[in-house]
Amino acid sequence: MSEDIRKDSYEERISSLTSAEFAKALQTFCDKIEFGDAAQLNSCVHCGLCADTCHYYLASSELEALPAYKLNLVSAVFKNQHTRLGKIAPALTGAEALDADMISRWVDSLYGRCSLCGRCALNCTLGINISRLIRLARTTLASVDLVPSELQSTVSTAVDKGNNMGIPRQEWLDTLQWLDEELQQEVSDPSAHLPIDQSHTRLFYTVNPREPKFFPLSLLATAKIFYAAGESWTFSSDYYDVTNYGLFSGDDQASGVISARLRDSMHKLHANTLVLGECGHGYNANRWEAPEWLAGAYGFEAKSILEIIADYIRQGRIKLDPSRNQKRVTLHDPCNLVRLGGIIEEQRFILKRAVSDFVEMYPNREQNFCCGGGGGQLSMTRFAKRRIEAGRIKADQIRATGAKIVVAPCHNCIDQLMELNKEYKLGVEIKTVSEMVADALIIER
Amino acid sequence: MSLVLLLRLGVVLSAIYCLIALTILVARTFSFGRPPRYSKAQGSAAKGIVYAFGQGMLPWEKESAFKHLPTFFAGILYHAGIFAAVFFLITTLLLIRLPDIAILIIRLLAVIGLLSGIGLLAKRFALPYMRFISCIDDYIANILVGLLLLVTILATYYYVLQFAMMAVAITLLLYIPVGKIRHCVFFFYSRILFGAFFGRRGTLPHPSTED
Ligand code: SF4
Ligand code: SF4
Repeated sequence: MSEDIRKDSYEERISSLTSAEFAKALQTFCDKIEFGDAAQLNSCVHCGLCADTCHYYLASSELEALPAYKLNLVSAVFKNQHTRLGKIAPALTGAEALDADMISRWVDSLYGRCSLCGRCALNCTLGINISRLIRLARTTLASVDLVPSELQSTVSTAVDKGNNMGIPRQEWLDTLQWLDEELQQEVSDPSAHLPIDQSHTRLFYTVNPREPKFFPLSLLATAKIFYAAGESWTFSSDYYDVTNYGLFSGDDQASGVISARLRDSMHKLHANTLVLGECGHGYNANRWEAPEWLAGAYGFEAKSILEIIADYIRQGRIKLDPSRNQKRVTLHDPCNLVRLGGIIEEQRFILKRAVSDFVEMYPNREQNFCCGGGGGQLSMTRFAKRRIEAGRIKADQIRATGAKIVVAPCHNCIDQLMELNKEYKLGVEIKTVSEMVADALIIER
Repeated sequence: MSLVLLLRLGVVLSAIYCLIALTILVARTFSFGRPPRYSKAQGSAAKGIVYAFGQGMLPWEKESAFKHLPTFFAGILYHAGIFAAVFFLITTLLLIRLPDIAILIIRLLAVIGLLSGIGLLAKRFALPYMRFISCIDDYIANILVGLLLLVTILATYYYVLQFAMMAVAITLLLYIPVGKIRHCVFFFYSRILFGAFFGRRGTLPHPSTED
C-alpha cells in the first residue's frame, strides 16, 4: 500500500466498508461486464510484453505499475466470481476475492498508477482493452464512494455547478464580453463578437473551463478563426464545459448527467454540430462515450475543433501564413483525442500549414506516450509525485525534438506539460493548435 | 482392449471434452450481453478486424513486438512447434504414415518450439517483473506444452513412444479449458474486439495522410 494513500482517511474508509457495500461493489462489477470484457478478462497470457508500453512502469520500474499487473487485479476478481478453477483453486489462476486488501490495491494501482491512456491496449499481444477494464474497476469503486476525493470533487462541481471549475454564469459572461472587445481590437472590426445563446447556428462550441479561467487567449484564438472563416456559431451561457471527469472517476451516472447537458443545449439552441474544443478526454467523452451513457444516438454531428479548422483550410475559408510562426514546433498527441478518439491527421494537416518548422516527436500518433496528465491524474493531487515522474517519458520525447514550441490540442495535457516544462527544464512554450493557427491567420476584409 | 487403443480413445474423448468445454466457456462470455453502440462510427470495425489479423500482427506494427524481437520470434516458433506436434498427434491417431521428410520437418519444428518454450519459461523464472505477473497456471501450461513437444520429438524417432505422447496429450486437453491455454480461443476473440474497437474509432488501420 502506498504512503500516498495512507495519508488521508481513505484507508479508514476502506476498512469500514460494510458487507452490504462489498456486495454492492461486486454487483456493480458483475453488472457492468459486457461479453467483450468477459472474453478479455479470460485472455491475458502473462507474456509481459506490455510492460514498457506504460509510461508509469517505464519511468518508475515499479512492479505495481505494470499494465499486466493492473489487469491481473481486475481479472483476479472476475476469475474468482466467474470461473470454476478461480472458485475451487484460486491460487492456481491468481483469482482473488474483492476484499478490503484488493480494494486498497485497486485504488493504489488503478487510480494511482494509470492515466487510462490505452497505450498498453494498443500494444497488447492479444489486444486486450486494459484501460477499459481498469475503468470498469473504477466504476466499481465509484459505486461505493471510493473515488479519490479530489477527483470526486471535480465531478461533483461539474454536476452541481454546470462546469468543473464552478465558474459562476456571470463570470463566464463577463469573460466573453471582455473577449469581445479583445477580438474587435485584434481584427479591427467593431462588429466582431463572440455570440452567446444564438439559435440555429451551424456550430455550438464547447471549451474546457480552464480556458475562460486561466487561458482566455486560447479562447480568443478560436473566436478569431471563426471570425476569419465567417462561421455561424455560438456559445451557451449555461453549458459550455466540454470536460467530463466521470470518464476518469468511472461514475457512469455522473458522466451521463454531465453529457446530457451538452446534448440538451444542442437541442435547445437548434445547432447543427456540437464542436468539442481542444480537450482530449472531452472529445472522447462527448464524441464516443456520451451516446452510450445516454443510451441513445445524438441525432447531430459531434466534431473536434481540429476537424473544423482543417476543413476551413481545405475549403479556403481561412488563409494562413506559416512564416509568422518561425520557431520549431512539435506536436503532442493527447491519448483520448488520438489513440482513443481517432483524430490523428487533422492536427498535422493544420500545423504543416500554420508553422514553418514542424517536427514530429517519436513515437507519435496512436503510439504517442501519454503526458501523464490524463485519467484524472491532474485532479488526484495525492498521486502528483508519480504523475510528474511518469511524465519524464514525455519530457524526454520533447527534448529530443529540439522544438521551442510544443503544441497540445488538450488543456489537461497543457497543464501537465507546463509542470513538466518546469520540472525537467525543457524551456519550451506550450500552445494549442488554435493559438498557432490564429497567429498565422491572414485576416481579409 | 489394447493400451494403444485405450490411449487413442482417451485422446479423442478428451479432445471432445476440451471442445465442448471451450464452447461452453465462449457461450458463457456471450451470456454477459452487450448493449447496442449508439455513437456514430468514424472508421470501419471490419477494416479494423482485418488489420488486427493482418498488418497488425507484423512485428513493426506493435511496440511490444519490435522492442522484444527475441520474445516475439520465440513465441511464434513455440506456437509453430505446438501446431506441428498437434498435427503429428492427429496423424498418429488416424494411423496415417507420414513421409520421412514430413516427419523431419515436424521434428525440427518441435525441437525449435521446445527450445523456444524453454527460453520463455526461463524468462518467466528469471525476470522479477515476469514472476510478479505470473501465476501457477502459467508455469503448468508451459511445462505441459513443453512435455508434449518433448514426447513428440521422441515419438518421431521411436514409434513406441506414441503412448507417452498420447498420455501427455490427454492431460493437456483436459487442462486447456481451465487454464491459460484457453487463449487458443480467446486470442481470436480478443483480436476481433481489438480490431473492432480501434477500427470503429478510426484509429486503425492508420488513416492516410494528406501530404
Ligand atoms: S492505460 Fe496507460 S497508464 Fe494505464 S496501464 Fe495502460 S499504458 Fe499504463
Ligand atoms: S501484453 Fe497483453 S497478454 Fe501480454 S501480459 Fe500484457 S496484457 Fe497480458
